Amino acid sequence: MTNPSLMVVVQRYGDIAGGGAEPHARSVVQRLRPYFNVEVATTTARDYWTWTNEFTAGLTAVDGVPVHRFPVESGRSRDFRLRERRAFSRMHTLADERAFVEAQGPVAPDLLEHVNKRGREVDHVLFFTYIYYPTVLGLPLAPERAVLVPTAHDEPAIRLAIYRPVFCAPRAIAYNTAEERAMVQRLFHNERVPNEVVGVGVDVPADRSADRFRQRYAIEGPYFLYVGRIVESKQCGQLFDAFARWQDSQGTRATLVLMGHKEMSVPDRSDIRLLGRTPDEDKFDALAGCVALVQPSLLESLSMIALEAWACGRPVICDVRSPVVWGMTYRAGAGLAYRSAAEYAEISEMLIGRPQLASRLGEAGQSFVARTYTWPRVVETYLDLFAEVRARNA
Amino acid sequence: MSDVLIVVQRYGAEVVGGSEGHARVVASRLARSHHVEIATTTAADYWTWAPYYPAGTSELDGLKIHRFPVAEGRDPEFKAFESKVLNGEHALADEEEWLRKQGPHCPALLEFLKDDGARYDAVLFYTYIYEPTARGVPIVPERAALISTAHDEAPLRLAPYRALFQLPRAFGFLTPEERDLVHRTFRNEHIPHETLGLGLDAPGAYDVAAFRSAHQLGGPLVLYLGQVSEGKGCGELLEAWAAYRARPNPRPATLVLAGTVRMELPDRPDVVALGRIPDAQKYAALAAADALVLPSRFESLGIVLLEAWQVGTPVVVRADNPVTAGQVARAAGGVTYRDADSFGDALDRAIASRESLGAAGRAWVERESSWEAFDARLAQLVALTAS
Repeated sequence: MTNPSLMVVVQRYGDIAGGGAEPHARSVVQRLRPYFNVEVATTTARDYWTWTNEFTAGLTAVDGVPVHRFPVESGRSRDFRLRERRAFSRMHTLADERAFVEAQGPVAPDLLEHVNKRGREVDHVLFFTYIYYPTVLGLPLAPERAVLVPTAHDEPAIRLAIYRPVFCAPRAIAYNTAEERAMVQRLFHNERVPNEVVGVGVDVPADRSADRFRQRYAIEGPYFLYVGRIVESKQCGQLFDAFARWQDSQGTRATLVLMGHKEMSVPDRSDIRLLGRTPDEDKFDALAGCVALVQPSLLESLSMIALEAWACGRPVICDVRSPVVWGMTYRAGAGLAYRSAAEYAEISEMLIGRPQLASRLGEAGQSFVARTYTWPRVVETYLDLFAEVRARNA
Repeated sequence: MSDVLIVVQRYGAEVVGGSEGHARVVASRLARSHHVEIATTTAADYWTWAPYYPAGTSELDGLKIHRFPVAEGRDPEFKAFESKVLNGEHALADEEEWLRKQGPHCPALLEFLKDDGARYDAVLFYTYIYEPTARGVPIVPERAALISTAHDEAPLRLAPYRALFQLPRAFGFLTPEERDLVHRTFRNEHIPHETLGLGLDAPGAYDVAAFRSAHQLGGPLVLYLGQVSEGKGCGELLEAWAAYRARPNPRPATLVLAGTVRMELPDRPDVVALGRIPDAQKYAALAAADALVLPSRFESLGIVLLEAWQVGTPVVVRADNPVTAGQVARAAGGVTYRDADSFGDALDRAIASRESLGAAGRAWVERESSWEAFDARLAQLVALTAS
């Protein structure tokens, strides 16, 4: 018997920078390959902001999987910020919403033609990311076989009327977290759409060495770790302030280690160490020895780095206002949340002073990840969802 | 008491049309137990969508009506464009454009749904095919009921309708056959649905003898009631009638055609065309007939069958029209035929069993089409929809 067919639609695919939905899509494709005839439909863009045509249009292969790339007719428009402001204003029109989606890019009408034709020949179509043109306009072309991976968080765009069909029309939805599901169901009342919390599997190497990390980067004493883009939108500025205030008020000596691309200014002080982009093995070595991972971002649909910290047995410190990160941390019993700089300092002191508590929280995180975010469970959940789609359309 | 908004492409006393008429009946029945408002366009004509009513808020039968201006009516090139979209090479975008060219393009109605839709507990949309519904349901899917009035026709397969049939909170179908068609086409069996059918007023008093003498009709009568045209299957009916009458030893019988004539008719003594008869004579004509024939192949709900059964008259319908054949099978109030050859036997059987078939039909219609039964189905649809 031949395997059922699966088309994956995502705005970018292949060797591209950054985290988020695109590497998520690629890792899911890798894991589902043994069970489906998988093909990918995407654009020629490599950059998520400009959507400039960088890949060649046409049929190619990535990791041995056929990938159809369609040209971007228009990338992010020059007046995107204006379009965004209009669509998010209270008195906006439906036309403003459509203009926002097109100004955001990537506008790829040939990709839609492909979904319209080929998408209705395959058994299922898996759409990644609710927000971009390929999903907004592609999903309604094959709703009866569509499964959506929304990777949604609470932001102004998700409140636009144009996204309602995206969440109400698909045959099934694969959420990243229970928190994401609760948020989406509150906004769209789409409880009827069959769904599961699927997420991704977390892989961490067995060989992790805190000593190797300390030696390579000359780091001594207790340290806290931040991994990700260093930007204001992920609340890095607040983190620096809270850390500096704690250290400057006779806190136990500690270091804040930053791994990731710097997109804002970082205070010039010896206890904040900016390492820039680092190889994956350094990340896992660093996780192994940290007091805790700090995740200050409020807008995450799934914090991969928090899952990786837990998989390494380390706790997470987060902002209490982040529904997803704090929701997961709370459910897992795998970390602590701060409401203020003062609480941030207290939590940091407590975790340094009580290493056994930190380890216990980390172990709780480890078992949370093992229960939910492992590949065998993720693959099995996808297989169930897809089987339901096929049964409905049989 | 929930707030219900009914969205329909045309609405008003001057509007003639099956789904629009249904919408008006539903509005007045629902208004007895709900707070009902209407959102519609300024059009009265389903082809041009030319502005007829003034835009703005008005009242009809005590219900508030929000009318929005038709920005574009039917495109003059619509027919040519449609044949390209339905039969020729075309781009995906053409299917979206087809919807707009069909009209009525009424953006203000859609903006109203976006801005004010959440004020209503349920929004009932009429007729899947027009833009106000096709573009409106996606704006308020969490509180939408779709009364699709779908036929098995080519546009049903166009791209703009694929998500539409997955979105509503609930469906209201006119017949079980429409339900089956929609389920078969869209595989959306999981969406709650209610088969609404119709409610009917009791026939009231009618005078068969007066009807016969007014039109000088004697002996057994076979009645056709409705527009007399090829499109309604009357050509085939007349051929079948001729074959039936050409059989040896024919019983005396007259085929009475009651309705506006839109085709050539044969000149023969056993076929009488009355033209359109006054509403007051409708039930008398039905009661006078030995059987009612409905030869149409395409019918979304044979209302005339229900009316025949109200006065205990059996019906004869085509076996290959799923809707009318389904009605007859459920009510056990008539006979079906496949072609001109089997028409005569079917008609003879209906007439021979007039008493029992008519009684079964009457019992069925009293049970299913009473206002009580109809109101209960409507209330159920609103309950399934309200969020």
